[in-house]
Amino acid sequence: MTGSATVFGQRRRRREDAPLLTGTARYLADLIEPDMAVMRVIRSNHAHARIACIDFATVARQPECLGFLSAAELPPDLGRLPAFDLCESSAAIHHPVLAGDVARYAGQPIAIVLARDAYTAEDLAELVRVDYEPLAPVMTVDDALRPHAPRLYPELGSNVVHETTQLVGDPEFAFAAAATGVGAVIIEQDFAFPRVMASSMEMRGAIARLEADTGRYLVHSSTQVPQVLRDELARITGLPRERLRVIAPAIGGGFGAKESIYPEEVLVLLAAMRFDLTVCWTEDRVESVTATVHGREEHLRIRAAVHENGIVTALEADCLADIGGAYALLSNTPGAAIATLRGPYRIANFRSRTRSVVTNKTPLNVYRGAGYPQATLAMERILDVAAARLGLDRAEIRRRNLLQPEEFPVDRGVDYPGCPNIVFDSGDFPACLESTLEAIDYTNFATRRAAATTGNALGIGLSFVVEMTASGPAEPARLRLRADGRLELLSGITPIGQGSETTILQILAAHLRVSEDALVFRAGDTDLAPDAPGTFASRGATMGGNAAVAAGTAFVTAARALLAELREVPLEHIVWDGGLLVEQNGHNQPMTLQALCELARSAGIDPLERLDAHAVFPDSGIAHASGCHAAVVSVDTATGIVHVLDYAVTHDCGRVANPLLVDGQIMGGVVQGLGTALFEALRYDANGLPLARGFAEYVLPTAATAPRFALRHIETPSPLNPLGMKGAGEAGCTGAAAAIVNAVADALAPFGVELGCGPFSPDHVHELLYKDPSPC
Amino acid sequence: MASTEEWLPLSMTVDRRLVCSRVRPRHLLSDVLREHAGATGVHIGCGQGICGACTVVIDGVPARACLMLAVQAEGCRIQTVASLAELEGNPVGPEGLTRLQTAFRQHHALQCGFCTPGLLVSTAVFLARNAAPSRDAIVDHLNGHLCRCTGYANIIAAIESLAR
Repeated sequence: MTGSATVFGQRRRRREDAPLLTGTARYLADLIEPDMAVMRVIRSNHAHARIACIDFATVARQPECLGFLSAAELPPDLGRLPAFDLCESSAAIHHPVLAGDVARYAGQPIAIVLARDAYTAEDLAELVRVDYEPLAPVMTVDDALRPHAPRLYPELGSNVVHETTQLVGDPEFAFAAAATGVGAVIIEQDFAFPRVMASSMEMRGAIARLEADTGRYLVHSSTQVPQVLRDELARITGLPRERLRVIAPAIGGGFGAKESIYPEEVLVLLAAMRFDLTVCWTEDRVESVTATVHGREEHLRIRAAVHENGIVTALEADCLADIGGAYALLSNTPGAAIATLRGPYRIANFRSRTRSVVTNKTPLNVYRGAGYPQATLAMERILDVAAARLGLDRAEIRRRNLLQPEEFPVDRGVDYPGCPNIVFDSGDFPACLESTLEAIDYTNFATRRAAATTGNALGIGLSFVVEMTASGPAEPARLRLRADGRLELLSGITPIGQGSETTILQILAAHLRVSEDALVFRAGDTDLAPDAPGTFASRGATMGGNAAVAAGTAFVTAARALLAELREVPLEHIVWDGGLLVEQNGHNQPMTLQALCELARSAGIDPLERLDAHAVFPDSGIAHASGCHAAVVSVDTATGIVHVLDYAVTHDCGRVANPLLVDGQIMGGVVQGLGTALFEALRYDANGLPLARGFAEYVLPTAATAPRFALRHIETPSPLNPLGMKGAGEAGCTGAAAAIVNAVADALAPFGVELGCGPFSPDHVHELLYKDPSPC
Repeated sequence: MASTEEWLPLSMTVDRRLVCSRVRPRHLLSDVLREHAGATGVHIGCGQGICGACTVVIDGVPARACLMLAVQAEGCRIQTVASLAELEGNPVGPEGLTRLQTAFRQHHALQCGFCTPGLLVSTAVFLARNAAPSRDAIVDHLNGHLCRCTGYANIIAAIESLAR
């Protein structure tokens, strides 16, 4: 059982791989049994419409129809879907589970039907007649802000549902000084970040059933937040919390899109309750385009004052987030963008205005990086533009603006929903920058560019990320001895594919100095971890790891106390040594936990009850991870195809528990960011219907897009947790679009191209090269 | 409503097991493999023939199970990820994994694992046809699959490690 503390930091292969590789892992859809009722959701096919009538007459006559529901059939006191980040300045928007009077986005659930199989359910759904009275759709932020624009929520009197401002220093003075200062420049630029989809390979699904033996409802859902879902299902349906159990099975990717509380999760439960059936639902890909939250769409207008020496003296941002029809989150993504907009750069004067605007599109929510990628793109483009205007090297202008290691902790003077004061806890930004410049061979790039073959325009781009990770709330964990002699960790971190089990057990094994084989990881079940925040915001390894360590410490104390009691010696005489209990100053041999159990039983004590330790790792504040990215791209000037050739990241997520898995997170994130830079944008037609029905129209990165990676780590431990860790899940995604777009701009600079907005797909780049640039 | 569609007998071999069932003409092979043959290693990632997660080998040829009707597989020999050792022509190793699965694990070429079974199946056939493919050929082969987690680099590395 004995292990070593040095397992922390090793490139451990994953414990969770075998069932995934053999196809025996059980995802949500694999839990569906033939006797379950299949739910099909009837969705609005209008972006904005009054629902005049829902006619179930025909479907009700079909013998195959096991049940149907619309808003009219739901209990009048049914709760609404939650919005999690309402601030004083937010308008409270709570969507009904099924749209009643008005549908506010194409795809909004209106009704359900139940059948014995998915094919029949789809047939039945066709028989439900919905009469719509179309309303004028509001499809863009510009439209939504027009004085006489239709209001999505007329009672609110505005399509702006959240507004905040931030002020640091005296930007007014700094801009005035720049306007009159010799050599200073003022740069103004607009950025539009497109609407994208997280696109996990596994789509969403849920199953609800009544457990005959317990009288409880068991809900399986492909969710990142089973505990939150359990609480919200209780609130919405009125069932007592104790009568609900939620389990997240194997999850085929989440990326934030599986952390909303979705109408379908409530509907399977409501249908199971109403019709006394086990009810299952799985999303299809066409449905997913409108039924699963979108990410990113944001417009940033930036104004920067830059001294002739390259120091950015002031920054002003007007941020408009297009949050679609709105539910779940109103202020989070633009809040994250603004809180991190200045990144690692000092920029002493800052002013921002942030507005969340509702439109008739699928609700927006967090997607890997939330608002950070948008902020990073804007800030890093501004620096490149400033460098060009001032004739400075692009690495040098960054070097001059970076916060220095000795300045930590750094109070940034801004807030964020749920966090009144953003303070950078740790980091070494100059070291990250220099490391990445070396990794990408920045100094020799001019030679490389000159050597490129005709028709291939090379460019290099930099970006720097500082992101909020490892956020609260407090994280529980429980460690107990199992009958088979292994230690079982009950974690609140629901794995979504990142390798949480391997990482967290590696951390726990190092702490206890036991072998990982002596440990068992269990999670994703409200019975195992009744109260836990869930998996999001790059918090799993840090919060879950620190909670596991706290539980480990509590377990060791419990084991020592038990032996001390049995042997009637003081507690401090018993020490833990890698799974063995050693009595100091005594003649007894070191004792295994198994022997301790036998001893306890012979004394009439149930050891499994005593060796069961609960702990909570408190919300100790946001740990800020950072990293410098660099991309080298080649633009084929005949076809407009952009190839990312090389990609370097020096990342600082504090102490790295498993570099293999952290690198995996970075690379996967970078390629997702590459997708948003080069391919991905979900567009709508004038009637408010999406122009994509899946991955044929909405193009995702393939293997051909994968760059050569050079990954490095700098470890500045976070002082906010005993392990000194910071999150890594979103890091790659956050910096990639900015570095790649900067590289594309650099490659196209000799052609006199005004870059405008992405994504820089081949047709778009071709147009930039050969036609008049169109506004975004 | 339902009476307009007939049930047809279907027999096929799935992972060396004879599966006899009755299906409707519109039933997709991917659904029938999962629901009638218990082959839940066949994953539905898009149902549109794009992502490749449902790839199986039909009479020696990789195919998207979501783009075929089950009745088209009458009399066919179908291999899913459960037949990987057979497809690779190698026995399963001591950890219960094939050579290809072991390479994926060693190179951390999977995260959520949803795309993995389809990827393994088609890669096994790819390597059986070309034991020493170039990196370009590997990338070309992988373009038929979407993976949203890994960024592909480790998948390429895993396959390259076997190609040498």
